[in-house]
Amino acid sequence: MERVEYGLLLAGAIICAYRAIVSKRILSSTIYLACISALISVVLFMLGATQVAVMELSVGAGLVTVLLVYALSVVGEDALDPSSVISKPLAIAVVAAVTLLLGWMIYPAIQFENLMGSVDLASVLWQQRVLDVWIQIVLIFSGVMGVLGLLSERTPGKAEGGHS
Amino acid sequence: MKLTEINIILIGIVSLLGVGFYGLLITRNLIKVVMILQILVKAVVLAFVFSGKVSGNLGLGQSIAATVIVADTIVAVVGLALAVQVRRRFGTLDAPEISTLRG
Amino acid sequence: MANIFILLIIGFPWLGALIVWLIGDARPKIQHTFAVAFSLLSGISSLILLAFINSQPAIDLALGTSFGSLTFIPDGLAVSLTVIATVVGSLAVLFSVDYMRGEAQLGRYYFMVLFFIGAMAGLVLSGNLLFTFFFWEITALCSYGLISFYNDDPKAVAGGIKALIITQVGGVGLLAGALISYASLGSFQISELLGRADTIPTAALSFIAFSFLIAAAAKSAQFPFHTWLPDAMEAPTPISALIHAATMVNAGIYLLARFYPAFESVPGWKTAVILVGVTSALITAFMALTATDLKRALAYSTVSQLGYMVYAIGAGGVLASQFHLFSHAVFKALLFLTAGSVIHAVGTRDMRRMGGLGAKVPFARNVFIIGALALAGIPIFNGFWSKELILEVGLEHSPMWAYALMLLGAGLTAFYTFRMTWMVFFGTPRETLHIHPIGLAMKISLAVLSIGTFTTWLLFGGLNGILSTSLPFHEIEAESTLEMIKAVSFAPATWFALLVVTLGLGLFFAFGRKFALSESPAWLSTLTESSFGFEPVNRFVVSLVSNGAEKLRATQTGQLNWNILAIVGALLVVLAALVWGGAL
Repeated sequence: MERVEYGLLLAGAIICAYRAIVSKRILSSTIYLACISALISVVLFMLGATQVAVMELSVGAGLVTVLLVYALSVVGEDALDPSSVISKPLAIAVVAAVTLLLGWMIYPAIQFENLMGSVDLASVLWQQRVLDVWIQIVLIFSGVMGVLGLLSERTPGKAEGGHS
Repeated sequence: MKLTEINIILIGIVSLLGVGFYGLLITRNLIKVVMILQILVKAVVLAFVFSGKVSGNLGLGQSIAATVIVADTIVAVVGLALAVQVRRRFGTLDAPEISTLRG
Repeated sequence: MANIFILLIIGFPWLGALIVWLIGDARPKIQHTFAVAFSLLSGISSLILLAFINSQPAIDLALGTSFGSLTFIPDGLAVSLTVIATVVGSLAVLFSVDYMRGEAQLGRYYFMVLFFIGAMAGLVLSGNLLFTFFFWEITALCSYGLISFYNDDPKAVAGGIKALIITQVGGVGLLAGALISYASLGSFQISELLGRADTIPTAALSFIAFSFLIAAAAKSAQFPFHTWLPDAMEAPTPISALIHAATMVNAGIYLLARFYPAFESVPGWKTAVILVGVTSALITAFMALTATDLKRALAYSTVSQLGYMVYAIGAGGVLASQFHLFSHAVFKALLFLTAGSVIHAVGTRDMRRMGGLGAKVPFARNVFIIGALALAGIPIFNGFWSKELILEVGLEHSPMWAYALMLLGAGLTAFYTFRMTWMVFFGTPRETLHIHPIGLAMKISLAVLSIGTFTTWLLFGGLNGILSTSLPFHEIEAESTLEMIKAVSFAPATWFALLVVTLGLGLFFAFGRKFALSESPAWLSTLTESSFGFEPVNRFVVSLVSNGAEKLRATQTGQLNWNILAIVGALLVVLAALVWGGAL
């Protein structure tokens, strides 16, 4: 009864996402985000993508959570949660319209080809998509540079150059 | 209309995207924005792997998904660094307040 | 070979624009030198391109199925206009060396001028409607930038914005016509539109034809869009000569000439074209009668002469219109540049304050008279031959009332031209004005242009040759210069025209001088001041656009959530369009 499992997992993910968005404390949102990661990772595993599932779990539930907690500790928790700029009904309406349209377009069933003899990740990644690997390296490098550049500045007050 | 696994997963992906967009519209806090981007990306990763599985080329789907995960993590890292800097400079993480501030 | 030269023609000015801008305003002499050098190189390349005229595309870059191919076709129509644009362009740049001496922000000025010259060449050489539109918009941008060059003068800025808004109406017409043509034919290529025009349903073809007519009328300041050109005279005079007399306003004429074979069968189109031409020619001739600003009078006369060219195309004489375009570019540039040197010398544009300057600036007086004689259509000068050719075509192929009105226009042209000349150079000086001498660079460009005014009509055979052999869709007969001379000299149209011109001259000498100095009759001046009622319309359109833009600023909140709402909204629109269109 895979359908039930898929359904439960995805429903759980959606509920966690909603709670992450509306919760007042950012720390709880972080926990919910980790839950989403875990659930999605299980779904990925069930679909057969084992390596990506592991990556998703470790990165999403591990790395990102640690990052967020660290950032929160540096920034400090803001307790207030003012109302949003855009009225909630408008947001719900637009998003519902987009979701329904998208869902309606995608809904018709696709042929499920249960091909187990597919090429595995390693050979594809290192042969076909070698360029992707290079791009990832460049991305990581630039990310590190960016963070170093951003976080190495001293405290504010000395710079007038804060142009908005 | 049959409700196969495919439909369920597709509905799940689209709903996750929808919730993510709703969050982006609602939230005012910069760190929450980074988090909601993460949610959106999880939906995208799921979509890539799912399409790979359905078209039979799971390896390709996985490698693209892996690239997306890496890229998005970098985005989160740099975004959080930016948020920290914004907090230091402007004293607040509230997006509307920052737009009206004069640097 | 042609492809290299086309690249050079467009590349030299664009490269020069970048280089002159990067040199910086601290070294004006180098800026002047480079600007002249690059524009001259472009002019020489276009002259060499004359040897490679061909109706096949010289450059053909496939750009995928949506955009067709980027083609540049060096056929007769394109190359003749390119030669005019680049050669007159280089003469105007040469003139600017003296005119803009000591002005600030030369980098911006030369950038716009050179960018414009390259874009104009690209516009006429392009074989792809989308790229024609692209170059069209670049010329509009440069025109705006140059009209409001003195951007601390509110009149200049207002003139620039007015010109921009009105010519953009034309741009919309061009784009709409191009898109409908693409929808009907599946291709943006101009040769496709010309060759398969009969496969397009009549309603769509009429839409395309009239949108192109609107685009041409807006760009060439024809009725009902004739109000922007006189206000564009706030630009520095070399710009008025280059853009608003010799090149950009010819883009509209080019459009009509290029697409004439496709649209001549559209019911009512030719009549509409003739109507636009006749109306523009006449009302602006009247407006030139009462103008007191020298450059405005020349602007009105430009619109009037463009009206003649439009009229010629409506009557089917594409060759006649191109010949007059060629002559007009030369003598009008001459007149503008001379006027510029006079204005530069005395420091005012008001003709009522000038007078008797002939004795003090004899060189300017002489070349201005040469230009004026060509404009009035006196025999021997190039204006005479081309105008007579137009009138001859008009007598044969257009309704009699149109011909009669154009004949009247010829007389009015003679009258106001002599009025202008007399007010500036002859008679007793009305004010003592301090005269700066005219610089050498100015004199060189003026001399070249005046020689041109004497002689360019001799190139008629050549022009005819290149047009008739390289335009496969137009039916132009080959005629040599000699045949043309004989045809024009013996045609009845010519005799009528000469009669009317003499009448105009006679009227001028009889009481024109008094008329010129006195205040015009009230009924005439109210009509002409408001551009025959179109000035208020113009102001209304401009204020509508400006207010609308101010109100729309509210949507640019700069806030994160609103921007995301816009993104999601756009996604919604795209999805809705897809669902409605039946995809998936």
